[in-house]
Amino acid sequence: MITGEQKPFEEIWNMVKDFKKVLVFGCNTCVAICHAGGGKEAEILASLLRMRAAEEGAAIEINHAAVERHCEPEFFQPVMENIRTYDLILSTACGVGVNLLSENIGDIPVFPAINTEFFGAVPRAGEFTELCAGCGNCILHLTGGICPIARCSKSLLNGPCGGTNNGNCEVSPDIKCAWVLIYDRMKKLNKLDLMKEINEAKDWSKAQGPRNFKVKVLEEIKK
Amino acid sequence: MEHVKSLLTKVGIDPERLEMFNLSAAMGPRWAEMCNEFTEKIRRLGPSPIWMATCSPKKNIKE
Ligand code: SF4
Ligand code: SF4
Repeated sequence: MITGEQKPFEEIWNMVKDFKKVLVFGCNTCVAICHAGGGKEAEILASLLRMRAAEEGAAIEINHAAVERHCEPEFFQPVMENIRTYDLILSTACGVGVNLLSENIGDIPVFPAINTEFFGAVPRAGEFTELCAGCGNCILHLTGGICPIARCSKSLLNGPCGGTNNGNCEVSPDIKCAWVLIYDRMKKLNKLDLMKEINEAKDWSKAQGPRNFKVKVLEEIKK
Repeated sequence: MEHVKSLLTKVGIDPERLEMFNLSAAMGPRWAEMCNEFTEKIRRLGPSPIWMATCSPKKNIKE
C-alpha cells in the first residue's frame, strides 16, 4: 500500500488561508490505513483549519468529504459536480490521487495535505516498512526474496559494503543490513553459491518515470 | 487523549482545556466534584482563543 504522513499544520494553513471555500477531501484506502488521509483524518483536519481560521478572523468555509479511492476516476466522478463548487480542494490522498483529480477537475486547484512516502508493508498495525521500490526489473529470485534496492541504504546490487556492522547498516543501528539478511536467507535456502555471482548493472530506465502500461488482454478485447 | 491534545496545541489551544475522566455510573458525588474542579480550572484559564476571536468584546465584558 501507499504510505504518507500529514504535512506540518502550518504548511497546510499557508496553502489554504487565502481561499474562501475549501474542501478537505479524504481517500479511504491506503492513506486511511496509515492514519494520514482517510475520511476521519480529513474531518479532523477540516475542524483544525476551521479553528485556525476563527482565530485569524479569516472568513473561509471549510468542509470535508471522502471517497474510497482517488486513484481511479470512477470513485470521485459521482461527487464531481459538488466538489466543483469549491475554490480549493485540499486532498489528503497520495500524490497519485492529487495528480489524477487535478487532471479531471478543471480550473480548481488541488493541493496536497500529505507527503507521500513509499509503498510498503504493514508488519503490525500502525507500522509501515518499505520493502520494494518498484524498480521495474525485479531480481528477488537472486536475492532470497529480500530487496537490496529498497532495503540497502546504497541500493547495492552486490553486497554487503564495508560498512556492515554486526548485522546492521552503517547508516543507522536501526536499519538491518539488507545484504546480511540476504546472506542469512540464502544460507537457509542452501543457495549461498548464488552470493558469489556478480549481479550485473540493472536497466534503470525501467525505474524512471513517466511510466505507464496497458493490460494487453483488455486491449485485445476492446478491439 | 495525548493525540487530541497535540492537535489542539497545533491550533494554539492550551491542551489543559481537554481532559478525560473515567468513572462508573455509581460515582455521582465524585462526578459532581470533577465537574466543579474542571469548571474552576477552565475559569482560571480564561476564555479560549476561539471564543475570543468569534465573540464580540461587549459579550466578553458582560461575562
Ligand atoms: S528488485 Fe525492484 S521490483 Fe524487485 S523488490 Fe526490489 S525494487 Fe521491487
Ligand atoms: S551496510 Fe549493508 S545495508 Fe548498509 S549500505 Fe552497506 S550493504 Fe547496504
